[in-house]
Amino acid sequence: MATCPGCALLCDDIDVIVENNRIKETRNACRRGAARMKGCFNRLAPSIAQKPVDIESAIRKAAEILKVAKSPMLFGFSNSTCEAQVKGIQLAKKLGAIIDDTSSFCQGLLIETIFQEKFRTCMLEDVRNKADVLVYWGSDAQDSEPRHLSRFSYFPRGESRQRGYEEDRIAVAIDVRESNTAKICKGHFYRIQPKGDREFILALTDALSGKVPAYEPKKILELAAILKKAEFGVIFAGIGLTYSIKEDMEILVALADKLSNFHIMPMVGHYNMRGFNENLFKETGFVNRVKFEGKAVQHSPAEVLDTPSRGVTLVHDDKYSIVEALRNESIDALLVAGSDPLSSLPRSLVRHLASIPVICIDPCVTMTSKITAVTIPCAVSGVESGGTAVRMDGKKIELSKIIESDYPTDEELLTRLMEAL
Amino acid sequence: MVTVMELYQLLPKTNCKICGESTCMAFAVALLGRKRNISDCTPLLEGNFKKQKEKLEVLLLPSAGAEETGMIVHPELCTGCGNCVVACPVDVANDPRGAAIGCAPTNDKVIFKVVDGKVMASNIKECRRFGKNRVLCYACIDPCPTGAIEFV
Amino acid sequence: MGLDVGKFMKNPEYEIKIITYRDIFQVEALERDRFGKDYEKLSAFIGMSKNDMAKMGLKSGDRVKVANNNGSIVVEVRESRRDEPGGVAFMVNSPWSNVLVSDDMGGKGIPEFKNITAKISLVKEEITSLESLMEYFRKLKQV
Repeated sequence: MATCPGCALLCDDIDVIVENNRIKETRNACRRGAARMKGCFNRLAPSIAQKPVDIESAIRKAAEILKVAKSPMLFGFSNSTCEAQVKGIQLAKKLGAIIDDTSSFCQGLLIETIFQEKFRTCMLEDVRNKADVLVYWGSDAQDSEPRHLSRFSYFPRGESRQRGYEEDRIAVAIDVRESNTAKICKGHFYRIQPKGDREFILALTDALSGKVPAYEPKKILELAAILKKAEFGVIFAGIGLTYSIKEDMEILVALADKLSNFHIMPMVGHYNMRGFNENLFKETGFVNRVKFEGKAVQHSPAEVLDTPSRGVTLVHDDKYSIVEALRNESIDALLVAGSDPLSSLPRSLVRHLASIPVICIDPCVTMTSKITAVTIPCAVSGVESGGTAVRMDGKKIELSKIIESDYPTDEELLTRLMEAL
Repeated sequence: MVTVMELYQLLPKTNCKICGESTCMAFAVALLGRKRNISDCTPLLEGNFKKQKEKLEVLLLPSAGAEETGMIVHPELCTGCGNCVVACPVDVANDPRGAAIGCAPTNDKVIFKVVDGKVMASNIKECRRFGKNRVLCYACIDPCPTGAIEFV
Repeated sequence: MGLDVGKFMKNPEYEIKIITYRDIFQVEALERDRFGKDYEKLSAFIGMSKNDMAKMGLKSGDRVKVANNNGSIVVEVRESRRDEPGGVAFMVNSPWSNVLVSDDMGGKGIPEFKNITAKISLVKEEITSLESLMEYFRKLKQV
């Protein structure tokens, strides 16, 4: 049995057939997972200024870049093991650098709200055993976390849900499009307008308080009745929802307060994004967007925390998000681990990437790696190296080393980089 | 999904009866039901119908794997989500500690398995649509959002 | 030879709203080879409802320019196979859709990935390749 690092469901029931140190066949993994486990065509090679070098030289060059930078930033980490993430945080501290991960423009806001215990949340095993009303909100699990419905939420029989989906469970989809998940939630698909989540939440909150909702009253009251009857309900909140209410997460908190039998779970794509959020939160009290600053006094209006034991000041501020840092051109070097900002960020934002030295640690060639100052290849975590990761619900899962590889792990690379400093 | 009319339009439409069916339409029905092969229509094999024959082959290709239950799996449409694995009542009965509770199948008695990210059907004779007491079961089709499983 | 009047007439432009989404087949292609043809085919298109397409005189397979203040791309237009009421177009989240995303963050550091407004018009140009998106950055680097 192996664990799949394809998404944050971290399915740990995968069988693999290995032949000549290659994964020949996967069983039980979905299309997304199978593709991740079988790997990419273009493996990254070590380089400086796009010219091939050995790994040692690439690490030395990377250390040099980070050493001379006045305002370096470390970014990525949602495709890294917890062990590598912890090393990344240590490196940021040592450098007095900014550190941020992809949750910054994904589910960070929602996960932070969960860590602050503003919502009830639960484990996926609870969902399987107890849940009777499942609400996929701005989340197309079928395409992003494909086994979510079959392993845990809708289809399986659970301890108190012996009759599974046929009679014991109701699945609801709230979305701007009829996604594959919405197709399964036949009869319980609520289509909303783009950016209509806020209106929908407010109307639903009204309906749950016994008021007549201002918006589509018939449909909203019908949904409110379903939610009220739930013995164990779960809202699976996708980025569709988070993006739409990013300015006002409190309205979701208010809705959750009205639904005493409900739990909220963030839907997470990258396999260990939540791991990064947990590791940074443990260290700093924030899930992302943090800057460490030696012993200097910080005058920023942002939240400042002292960690006296180490004498390091840390600052959490939206300006330390990858997008704001690039937009304000406030960083002068960037280390990217397991992410491809050139591909995943708005093009209008990534112009600054072209004018600063970028160090790219990745198993595969990416758009970003093609223009960076230094590339350092690493093993595919969860396939060529083990470690731990955090599932979307917070459960720690052991990753598997399935095949041998000559590539160093990203944890190893970050350690060597720190030594080279 | 291919219709009888689509198949019929590509046949010679001469009602020559060489194939043994009384009309080309009857042959189209038999083709769709996998009771006859394209090669049973000998006029189609002769020169003039080359293009039609190729089209028919493409139309009927996905069904080449149709088993006696008429089940066709389209691996190219499948996302490997495993909904059918867990929803199939035969899988539930035959693997109560695996497929039934959402886990990987623990034995070989299940009908559906996901291999290389795509569903594969086996033990097809266990399917509720097969045999003397067959029922028109939709348990694997309904949970599939991409139409990767169908019965013909 | 007759005069091709169409050549001198600008094709009409329509304003559209675009929502981005994820597609498992595109993610699979990304995992395998983000510079491959499959990834491009599964990314460089825009899906629209039948009615919207008819209104704008577009048919499946047409190439369209989708542009706004942030950038411009040429992609294929495809009729949505889903039941869509119209009024909104769809693109898979990709480097193509990201050309159109604004850098105005509204304070929270999260770009409006799923809330794009752009103009769409029929064109004859080739579909924007990933290589040409890379070329954009390479040029930036030379400046």
